[in-house]
Amino acid sequence: MSAHQDPSSAEGRQYRHEGPRNHYITFILSILLTIFAFAAVIYGDLDRGFVLWFLSILAIVQAVFQVVYWMHMKDRGHAYAILYISMGALIALTAFAAAAFWMWW
Amino acid sequence: MSSVHDTAGRLPAEPEKATLEGRNKILGFWLFLAAEVVLFGTLFASFITLRNQVPEGPTADELFKLSTVAISTFILLTSSLTSVLGTISLHRHNLSGLLGWMTVTVLLGLAFLGLEVYEFVEYVHEGHQFTSSAFATSFYTLVGFHGAHVLFGVLWITTLILQAFRKGLTVVTAPKFYVAGLYWHFIDVVWVFIFTIVYLMGKVG
Repeated sequence: MSAHQDPSSAEGRQYRHEGPRNHYITFILSILLTIFAFAAVIYGDLDRGFVLWFLSILAIVQAVFQVVYWMHMKDRGHAYAILYISMGALIALTAFAAAAFWMWW
Repeated sequence: MSSVHDTAGRLPAEPEKATLEGRNKILGFWLFLAAEVVLFGTLFASFITLRNQVPEGPTADELFKLSTVAISTFILLTSSLTSVLGTISLHRHNLSGLLGWMTVTVLLGLAFLGLEVYEFVEYVHEGHQFTSSAFATSFYTLVGFHGAHVLFGVLWITTLILQAFRKGLTVVTAPKFYVAGLYWHFIDVVWVFIFTIVYLMGKVG
């Protein structure tokens, strides 16, 4: 697969692994989202329903960023990875909906 | 495949995807992660439905100390960053960088586990045992399963580091590190939902 690549160019190569910048951004964003989530619970005299939605959205945003950047989902050739994880999430959400429906209604 | 135990300078640009075996390993690992999503999805589903079922024993609000949870969270978050820095070293064919970052990742994982053991011991002393309530059972199952995953990751990455010391960075060892990095990120993503749903929402009620 890599027979056509010139090994000597490996050092100066600036190919699609663009270095750690995006990963640091994801890290800082994750830290900030985590701090917001803890702060909302510790300091916020907020409406319970609002806090639950706020926490859920922060968690989903953080998870999506980590999957897309840290797990390289944005890189080329991840169609199957996206398909698999989406199917897993679909089944998991179905299980959650079934359990919630069974227990609460 | 066996003919390509190359030295670092002659490795292909993406050593983890240079062989069919490596590519299949990554593809198969995503399938495994999909199954893991289902596993944790069902554990979260049972926890969310049972989390207020506390006939006796402490409730989530009485039990949880957010300071410990915050420290655990930042430790695991940092370890996820160090493991991705390891993957970057891998792509740069920098073996010592890879081993260094992976060692830091393992140490942070051990710190996380130590805090979790301390936390669970504290809870048991406060009367929060596995069979105390439906809340306790679903709590220990969910958080314990995550902790078991961290423990497995620590042991797995440690063996990879030891193997890489002997064999170096090749198209055989590279996919293992790449996949272990994916695993570690996944563990961190699961923790994002644990600290949100179990601890923070447990405080909110």
